[in-house]
Amino acid sequence: MRFFKLFGLIILAIAVSAPGSMAKTKKLKAGFIYVGPVGDYGWSHAHDMGRKYAEQKLPWLKTVYIESVAEADAKRIINRFVQEQKCDVVFTTSFGYMQDTLEAGRRYPKTIFMHCSGFKRAKNVGTYFVDLYQVYYLNGLMAGALTKTGKIGYVAAFPIPEVVRHIDAFALGIKAVNPKAKVHVKWIYAWYGPDKAREAAEALIAEGCDALAFTEDTPSVIEVGQEHTEKGKQIYTFSHYSPMQPYGKDSVVSGQLVDWGGLYVDILKEVYQGKWTNKDRWWLVGQGAAILGGSFKEPVNARFAGALKKAMVDTPDLGRLSVYDLVMARYDQMKKVPAGFEPFSGPVYDNTGKLQIAKGKKASKGELLSIMYYVDNIAGKIPH
Amino acid sequence: MVRVSVSARGELSAAAAGLNLLGSLAAGMAAISLVFVFYGVDPLEAFGSIFAGSFGSLYGIKETVTKAIPLVLIAAGLALAFRAKFWNIGAESQLLMGAIFSTWVGLNWGPHLPSYVIIPLMFAAAMLGGALWGIIPAVLKYKFAINEVISTLMLNYICAELTTLLVVGPWKGKTKFGFPYTDDLPPQAVLGLLPGSSIHYVTLAVAVTLAVVLGLLVFKTRFGYELRVIGENPNAARYAGIDFLRTTMVVMAISGAAAGLAGAGEIAGVHHHLSYPDAISSGYGYTAIIVAWLAKLNPFYVVVAGFFFAGILVGGDAIQISLGLPAATVNVFNGILLLFLIMGDYFARNRVRLTWIASDKG
Repeated sequence: MRFFKLFGLIILAIAVSAPGSMAKTKKLKAGFIYVGPVGDYGWSHAHDMGRKYAEQKLPWLKTVYIESVAEADAKRIINRFVQEQKCDVVFTTSFGYMQDTLEAGRRYPKTIFMHCSGFKRAKNVGTYFVDLYQVYYLNGLMAGALTKTGKIGYVAAFPIPEVVRHIDAFALGIKAVNPKAKVHVKWIYAWYGPDKAREAAEALIAEGCDALAFTEDTPSVIEVGQEHTEKGKQIYTFSHYSPMQPYGKDSVVSGQLVDWGGLYVDILKEVYQGKWTNKDRWWLVGQGAAILGGSFKEPVNARFAGALKKAMVDTPDLGRLSVYDLVMARYDQMKKVPAGFEPFSGPVYDNTGKLQIAKGKKASKGELLSIMYYVDNIAGKIPH
Repeated sequence: MVRVSVSARGELSAAAAGLNLLGSLAAGMAAISLVFVFYGVDPLEAFGSIFAGSFGSLYGIKETVTKAIPLVLIAAGLALAFRAKFWNIGAESQLLMGAIFSTWVGLNWGPHLPSYVIIPLMFAAAMLGGALWGIIPAVLKYKFAINEVISTLMLNYICAELTTLLVVGPWKGKTKFGFPYTDDLPPQAVLGLLPGSSIHYVTLAVAVTLAVVLGLLVFKTRFGYELRVIGENPNAARYAGIDFLRTTMVVMAISGAAAGLAGAGEIAGVHHHLSYPDAISSGYGYTAIIVAWLAKLNPFYVVVAGFFFAGILVGGDAIQISLGLPAATVNVFNGILLLFLIMGDYFARNRVRLTWIASDKG
């Protein structure tokens, strides 16, 4: 009898303690695959900051990462993360990894894959993205107010919907304060191509542009703007992705900043708690993932705040106010969920004169994700 | 004062040549160790994790073999070109030409033909594409005296831009939502994989066969003899009446065709569509240069050197993941190794003497 009692007690002890101790020791391992070097000061750098933030926030999380993974090599790295590193979650942070991520999802049904910026999902493959188009609109407001030549340049990586959306949002912002100004776009066909970005920026300035925004992963455009400004020709630039204001303290007006940390923590918590689903996560200003500024310290470079406060503009909903106040008011509206202001609100015409968004309508998420037209104050045609 | 005197050395014995290779590798590894030490990483641990990551597990071996396929193909061809002292730096674009040609054949004819017809056609088209692209610098060199290092390198840029132009332009896939990829190849035009791996075994078999055939070509045929004479003693070749242009054109057609085959393998075996140049080849055309030197420009040895080097590349992931070294470390590793192999080759060909001379002014 004593034996059975003891045996029973042991069983009981195990039964009581097991779930608790298991929860305490349960670990999660996440692998991150980056397309660029973590020192690129753009896309991959921002993801790596997010990874570090999540690792610091979540005591049960262990992460591994690998940088500069060419699309040609993605498959091999995913295999390594699953087979060798035993990752529970793999984040593939480039659009070009889409096919390999989906195939890996079929190959490893027990692993969760999160593909950044893609649109194809599967049972164990989810998608996520932080979109900055709202912030591009805010920067457009400032560019429109500051330009003296009425020509604004844009250095763009690849003609894909994400980049076109950025350009359009930026142009819509410009149009709201300066309907006469035109946006000129140069495509460089590279995410990381400092030489090409530099060349494109110089060409745009030579063509008369005095404000430059961009979607690519280097501070080259800002460096060019700063050089010209130092030589006495003020060029206004808008930082992208990372806080690039230090590269152009006399040139950077503001910019788009991203914070992936919150989104990574959110996804990993869901996985940890078993609540993960493959739904698309699309974070904007409202979720605190998209931030206005060329530096995390100030949304608008103090050097240009005065000029923006002097420039006055009429708006249909807020009356007459300074561009500075308009930027802040729109930013506050965007911080609400759902956003209180949508840059893509009709009527929006493309630059062939076709009505794309009817009056009183707002672009749907689907329309935004597949946008492939220039709005009417952008010169030229999207290459295809 | 030190006086350096250099004199040519005769042919080394096989043992001495082997010793020279091992010595160069060891010296290269020693130099690389310094880089690791500089990063605060124990070199033994670093080398350990590289080789554990590539040859130390089934996963590693499978990935190493996959990566070796294009390297063996290209390096076998390069060995020929380099033996004829034709410095073909253009394998990267000869690969891309092969990829372009085979994609066109696969997409246009693939839907109407069975696998056993379309796959050989794709390989043949790839060889044609690579060969045509390879012949250009040969003609430029012997008709217009344009240095082939420059022309092959420049052709790489031209072909990369051409590829980009095709995938963002006329060849952009209808099923790819505006993204710069061609449509996927039809299933008949896709190569089978060894189960549970990424190894497209048809290309693997082609690669090993090609290396053997080119090895026989170099050492057992009159043509092989001619190309070696051109490389080793151009004056003798001239007296013997060897046609430099014709021979080099053939050598470069072969070298280009071999790289083209690698392109077809990557398209039909790995990617299934054409895309940006760096999405198709992660620098195989350049890495294969090191492989060819490591194999002492002997196509037979290329098979071994290709697997060894693929191992370094695959194991390079491991030093990033487990030791936290930057991705560029692997490139530094490759560069240093090539440097030491070429230096070793120099010392194998030349006797270098250092003599101390007492200074007159004492």
